[in-house]
Amino acid sequence: MTEIKEEMKITGNERPKIGVYVCHCGVNIGGVVSVPDLVEYAKTLPNVKVGREYKFFCSDVGQKMIKEDIEAGLINRVVVAACSPRMHEPTFRIACKEAGLNQFLFEMANIREHSTWVHMKEPEGAYEVAKDHIRLAIAKARELIPLDVQKVSVEPACLVIGGGITGMNTALDIATSGYKVYLVERTPTIGGHMAQLDKTFPTMDCSSCILTPKMSEVSRKKNIELLTYSEVTEVTGYVGNFEVTILKKPHYVDPIKCTACGICVDSCPITVGNEFEIGLGTRKAIYVPFPQAVPGEYTIDMENCIECGICARINVCEPEAIKFDDKPEYLKVKVGTIVVATGWDSYDPTELKQYGYGKYPNVITGLQMERLLSSFGPVVGKPVRPSDLKEPHSIAFLQCVGSRNFREGGNKYCSRVCCMYATKQARQYKEKHPEADIYIFYMDIRAFGKGYEEFYQSAAENYGINYIRGRIAEVSEDEDHNIIIRSEDTLLQQPIEMKVDLFVLSTGLEPRADADKVTSLLRIQKSADGFFMEAHPKLRPVDTLTEGIFIAGVAQGPKDIPDSVSQAKGAAASAITLMAQGEVEIEPFFAIIRPERCIGCAMCVENCAYGAIDIIDDRRFGKIAEVNEALCKGCGACSGNCRCSAIDIKGFSAEQIYSIITGRM
Amino acid sequence: MVEEQSRKYGLFLGCVIPNRYPFIETSIRNVFDHLDIDILDLPGASCCPAPGVFRAFHIPSWLVIAARNISIAEELGVDIVTGCNGCFGTLRDTWIELQHDYDLKKEINEHLSKIGRSFKGTSEPKHVAQVLYQDLGLDYIKDHIKHKFSDLNVAIHYGCHIAKPSDKRPWGGECEDPRFLDEIIELTGAKSLNYKDKMLCCGAGGSVRSAIKEVSLDFTREKLTNMKKAGADAIITACPFCHLQLDLGQFEVNNIFKDEIDEPFKIPVIYTTQLLGLSMGIDPNLLGLLKNHDLSGVPPFISIDPFLNIVKEQLVKEEIKA
Repeated sequence: MTEIKEEMKITGNERPKIGVYVCHCGVNIGGVVSVPDLVEYAKTLPNVKVGREYKFFCSDVGQKMIKEDIEAGLINRVVVAACSPRMHEPTFRIACKEAGLNQFLFEMANIREHSTWVHMKEPEGAYEVAKDHIRLAIAKARELIPLDVQKVSVEPACLVIGGGITGMNTALDIATSGYKVYLVERTPTIGGHMAQLDKTFPTMDCSSCILTPKMSEVSRKKNIELLTYSEVTEVTGYVGNFEVTILKKPHYVDPIKCTACGICVDSCPITVGNEFEIGLGTRKAIYVPFPQAVPGEYTIDMENCIECGICARINVCEPEAIKFDDKPEYLKVKVGTIVVATGWDSYDPTELKQYGYGKYPNVITGLQMERLLSSFGPVVGKPVRPSDLKEPHSIAFLQCVGSRNFREGGNKYCSRVCCMYATKQARQYKEKHPEADIYIFYMDIRAFGKGYEEFYQSAAENYGINYIRGRIAEVSEDEDHNIIIRSEDTLLQQPIEMKVDLFVLSTGLEPRADADKVTSLLRIQKSADGFFMEAHPKLRPVDTLTEGIFIAGVAQGPKDIPDSVSQAKGAAASAITLMAQGEVEIEPFFAIIRPERCIGCAMCVENCAYGAIDIIDDRRFGKIAEVNEALCKGCGACSGNCRCSAIDIKGFSAEQIYSIITGRM
Repeated sequence: MVEEQSRKYGLFLGCVIPNRYPFIETSIRNVFDHLDIDILDLPGASCCPAPGVFRAFHIPSWLVIAARNISIAEELGVDIVTGCNGCFGTLRDTWIELQHDYDLKKEINEHLSKIGRSFKGTSEPKHVAQVLYQDLGLDYIKDHIKHKFSDLNVAIHYGCHIAKPSDKRPWGGECEDPRFLDEIIELTGAKSLNYKDKMLCCGAGGSVRSAIKEVSLDFTREKLTNMKKAGADAIITACPFCHLQLDLGQFEVNNIFKDEIDEPFKIPVIYTTQLLGLSMGIDPNLLGLLKNHDLSGVPPFISIDPFLNIVKEQLVKEEIKA
């Protein structure tokens, strides 16, 4: 076998003998166009020596057919006309390699996504398009030359961005496997949104009780370097070798000297709204976000601090921990992998004016209700309504606020947690106030998770919570700030007008407002809903299209805690897999300079977005451009703009592109 | 600010203004004249046609007639201004729909070609309030204000078609709680009251007035009750049909619902440009603000005398003092 393979080693000079394999893809392709006809057509084209069809070429049997043709010496170039290369290009490359053919002598024609799916209803047209795709792929295959893959080492360290429940779990798993983790969190504490929750559905276990131990575990973990109140400012490099710059914002309090006595907080004259309580409570300019914060470091918020110096007085801060001259620090670290777990923002319902949020005091959001219910919240778990601080006797919840909204100002997706959190909050209130009237206005109740349907059924049957199917059209308030609701009960087909004491908007989850900063920093993509895009919605849910960078939790799309933790562990496993290999292959599609043509004009240096090109002094050719292959992404900006045609992109050379174009005409 | 050269608009009257409330037309013409705007007539303009009546029965007919009206302004090379929410709705919906649907535009133009016309989409249909608020701007109008009311509480009624559907209206998607009319009215010193269900329909629209009058007037009763409760000295409208429903409607509500209301309603109903014109120092006669007994056979049905007394008290006396 090995000997045959050695014989088969292809050189660029050998005459191309192309094998064309047209896949039926079940009925995806074969059900629209005639695959045998396509094969016959391909066989009429120059250099095509073998043409075959099969139900699924990606299967073992299909791959074997290709391998046998290679091994028998019938062909030295492979064209598979099937699906998108995103999924199966690696499959066929490996098959070629196993049969002794350089894996870059393979080309794929996507006749499924680009033809039979989009032109499903016009089979004749689809057939013509498929023929074109096959002809172009063959044209390029004719010009293919063997390339060598490059191997780079993987730094055994991971950067985790975001210290919520997802980021924490990822960090813990990776650290336990023995790799270094830099956990970067931009607020002064880890814990994320889960720290704001009182209880979690459907088990009703206390959020803090299960979160706090995790938080301290993270802070104790040997392999985790916890960087709170920090932000990633720059990421360069590539898979296995990312160079990351992290800004450590100044706390203005020395964490070593500080004994966390809290006297400074009492003496601080500045009171501002507490972000953690979402406007329902206050904090001082010097603060710890919440009692269980980790690390429990004090921070001075310089946007609000007036630098009066009272906290720094010796009778206030005995250990002299306050340092107004604290400076931001930049930390540079090298990591092999990155996990993005940046979480979500709560939808701001102010623009949905019909619901009166921000206008009527007794209209609040679900997250605010959570703080009202929280035992360490502003009203220590005894919810009152904002207007008169009285206990509400009736509460209405409105579902899908900002979610499943196809009109302006809303999000089209389902936020996946609101049905359950509203049910949970309603149950919590009903437990303490059995006499209260609770209404949940919904479109559909989506109780999809483990134990969720049971939880919802019990809320309706055992707790007497009233579920009304109908959107609330508008609300107004009376003189006592009670909320008057107008809706329709679509099951009874009756209009409803009712008065409640408190109105809770079950607002959904949104991508972070500054998610764009992350996408440009890491060169990852967003999907149409604004969340970060996974490499494949089903099979690569935590990977991104940038190798070595993974996503997890709500940053990828709305999900509840169990799903977030599952993804956290998935992303951790993916990162570990990469680091455990020690080295990784990178595609050889980078720019190469033809020194004899280059005049050293440096136009390419300007055009390169990745800083991969330098001008060097060559002994033979004088001033010429040189490409750093590790930094080059193969985008082709340099090649397209080179006025001397001195730059080629491997795998996309001028000859190959030209061959495709002429093949088309 | 308006550019030096004068702005020109084609005034689209519609039906209710010339037939029921001609003083709305005179107030628009005089206010715009004071603001250095040229108002051109649209010769041959017909019914817009009314959205509730025509569109509900046959959309293509509705579009063709509306497109014909717009084409008159296109010939003159001017944008359209209308003081009626219904006309605004019909013309603007048509203008937007035909611009976004190539096939529909072609079909409509085939019909129009039979009478030698065509729709191009070059004349934007605008509401009087839109011209005031967006084309001229509050600062520009402010420079023309001469007198201010010191104590006038008004209930502004926007009406429906002026702001809805929000994607075909010029207010940036705002339809639940618009402020543009409030801001124009507040330039006169009048206080715009916040009353319950401010955005509720007057009751007339959608052919409800013609079809089921009692239901229609029940809306009006609700609306009037809320306005009265808030302490309105006058109702300010931006649409002649709403104007009719709130004016004649008071009369009708007082009869039909006399057992359900405490005392008969008699709140003067004033059109936006009438109030604005007063503040700009225009002769009330030119704004159609006449004593009821001076008019015969012409509305208003509800006496505006209490409002004229306020004007006398707050604007005229102040002017004499000055």
